[in-house]
Amino acid sequence: MGFVDIVLAGLIVGGAVYLLYRSLWKKKGYCHGCDSSG
Amino acid sequence: MKTQMAAVRPLVAVERSVRIAVAGNPNSGKSTLINSLAGSRLHVGNWPGVTVEKKEAAFERRGERIALVDLPGTYSLSPYTEEEVIARDYLVQERPDVIINVVDVTNLERNLYLTVQLLELEIPIVVALNIFDEAEKKGYRIDVPAMEQALGVRIVPTVATKGTGLDALLEAATEAAGNPSRHRPRRLHYGGDIEAAAEALMAEVLRRSPGLAEKYPERWMAFKLLEGDRCVIEAAGLPGIETMTARAAGHLHSAHDGDIESLMADARYARAAGLAREILTKPDIRKIELTEKIDRIALNRFLGIPLFLAAMWLVFKLTFDVSAPFADWLDAVTAGPFTRWTRVLVGLVRGPDWLISLVTDGVIAGVGSVLVFVPVIFAMMFFITFLEGSGYMARAAFVMDRAMHSMGLHGKSFIPMLLGFGCNVPAIYATRTLENPRDKALTALLIPLMSCGARLPVYVLFVGAFFSAHSGTVLWSLYVMGIVLAVLMGILFKRTLFRGESPMFIMELPPYRMPSGRSLMIHTWEKGKHFLLKAGTYILAVSVLVWFLLNLPWGVEHKKDSYMGTVGQAVAPVFKPLGFGTWEAASSLIAGVIAKEIVVGTMGEIYVPEKKETPAGPAPSLSADLREVGTSFVEAGQKAFTNVFSTAGIASISEKGESPPERESLRAVMAKTYTPLSAYAFMTFVLLYMPCIVAAAAFKHEFGTWKWFGVAFVYQTILAWGMAFIIYQGGKFFGIGG
Repeated sequence: MGFVDIVLAGLIVGGAVYLLYRSLWKKKGYCHGCDSSG
Repeated sequence: MKTQMAAVRPLVAVERSVRIAVAGNPNSGKSTLINSLAGSRLHVGNWPGVTVEKKEAAFERRGERIALVDLPGTYSLSPYTEEEVIARDYLVQERPDVIINVVDVTNLERNLYLTVQLLELEIPIVVALNIFDEAEKKGYRIDVPAMEQALGVRIVPTVATKGTGLDALLEAATEAAGNPSRHRPRRLHYGGDIEAAAEALMAEVLRRSPGLAEKYPERWMAFKLLEGDRCVIEAAGLPGIETMTARAAGHLHSAHDGDIESLMADARYARAAGLAREILTKPDIRKIELTEKIDRIALNRFLGIPLFLAAMWLVFKLTFDVSAPFADWLDAVTAGPFTRWTRVLVGLVRGPDWLISLVTDGVIAGVGSVLVFVPVIFAMMFFITFLEGSGYMARAAFVMDRAMHSMGLHGKSFIPMLLGFGCNVPAIYATRTLENPRDKALTALLIPLMSCGARLPVYVLFVGAFFSAHSGTVLWSLYVMGIVLAVLMGILFKRTLFRGESPMFIMELPPYRMPSGRSLMIHTWEKGKHFLLKAGTYILAVSVLVWFLLNLPWGVEHKKDSYMGTVGQAVAPVFKPLGFGTWEAASSLIAGVIAKEIVVGTMGEIYVPEKKETPAGPAPSLSADLREVGTSFVEAGQKAFTNVFSTAGIASISEKGESPPERESLRAVMAKTYTPLSAYAFMTFVLLYMPCIVAAAAFKHEFGTWKWFGVAFVYQTILAWGMAFIIYQGGKFFGIGG
């Protein structure tokens, strides 16, 4: 695994972690599409 | 509390902005009316309490920006329930330009009680006499001009579900908003004593604090102070207000033992009842209506619960029959042509091998394994929406009332629990419709036992592999297990954490109605799209992370030796007595803590073969693949149609012996890895084990503490392990399904 591969893999993992944080935590359980939610 | 913006169309060259509050009794059709007017998709259902908080839908009309605010349905403007507080605060503090009061004309007198209170606010009002068609069918005659005369407001007959009368209603509302002085509603007289007391009190209050006149409608504030409304007394912030009230209403106090609130309620009811008598003529001969005929059976004390269980069974059977062929089709397309051509595309951009593997064995295998079940989820949501729209869900709550009483709750608590069949998160939020904090917490604790749609992919995977001949029944048994355990846990909690009397349940039963096709489609989509959004966000993210965890340390030869495999092996012994003590099952269950569908997604990634077999012969061309995809879709449609009319169960899943060309289907792998008994124990564990992280966040958000999530986490994990143990070991002992 070369340097470029490591950077690319790091970016992908970072993106996935951020997506997880944004959709799970930052929105405090807001339910997309559940329009009777809070 | 924030207002949710439900739908906003692009606005251009807006000359004027009009804010219209839509208020009315629960289940009078407010959300349907707004959806018809604004083309929005607010959640509606033929049961009370669908709108828990205010929501806004905005659109443009003749250069005017019209914002419609959907207030929660209330029977009055007293500050006793969350819905009443939200509706009242908005009307009093935000002062909309006009109120559209949606009145269910088939229950005129009860609806007018709220109308009478809205008139006190002295905001221009237009009354929508909704469900007018049903009233006409019943032979009701309503003297609209006399009603306009009596209330001093515009009255427009409407049928929100068909869009009838809505243009006239909007026209009247914007006209009233533009000329508030001409459309000030009439002051209904509540009798000399009350009026004199209110006048005297107001004079004294305004003398001491003239600024209050800017803050509240004077007459309304006087009535609320007389009633001893704590919210208004605190907001007024006048020292000695009780003394002032006592002085102004001395005569009323002595004549009515100080219970001015009841006196006010009687006065309002008298006006509502009198008005209804004047304007409504009912036919002399009362027919026994269809709703009553159905309810004689549906609400029968012996037949009610069996019928509810039968209705659920039918929902699950139809869900499977309709959706399974499409799920099979998606499975074949994802595992075959889609994986094959994605691999070609990533190869074309010269991606490294690991990236190709991440995309195909990680993202496609993970997200694809979940997306395969989207047809099942949509079918399920369609049937649930149908039950909601038909009015049957309210009956379900009613027939469950006795069972709910045994655990110290009442049937109203069953409504959030029924919502939990779709998704536990909005169900936890819906507990705010319950007045009592004890009921709220207890109901929220039981909601995760209601099997949400996210658990459906796990069930469908295993049911398809092991129980295809009895798929509907097995699926139904899991949902019933959730309900029965909720009742038992409720009884246990009542005797430990939540001691106290169960309150009385008074619930309105709406008439049965056939939901419109448009409404069914919109609300099925609204419920189902949640799962598509999840697939594109955290299921995607977890699939990527799981792929890395299955391939780290870099160059690991067997997945078992990866980080994920190592953790899975460490945890697996815990599940051994339950029949699924493998690292693959353990890892999937750990990942499923984020969302239950991820159990299937992770399995999809874990069970991707480590050594790829090259298919024999040349790969099919793109056009051949596209043709095959189209043909198999048509075949799936035909199978779904046949299944619905076949009593023999599911044809498509049972035929599923062949594997897709690129990789073996997950279902076939499961059939080799589990036994029917361990599969059922696994499904039971997934049904019961801890709520997902999004539900955890909802617990924290709704209750402001982690305490209740902590209780749910502990009791559910113990319950899940215990039930799976009993099922697996019990089944082995009796020689069933091993």
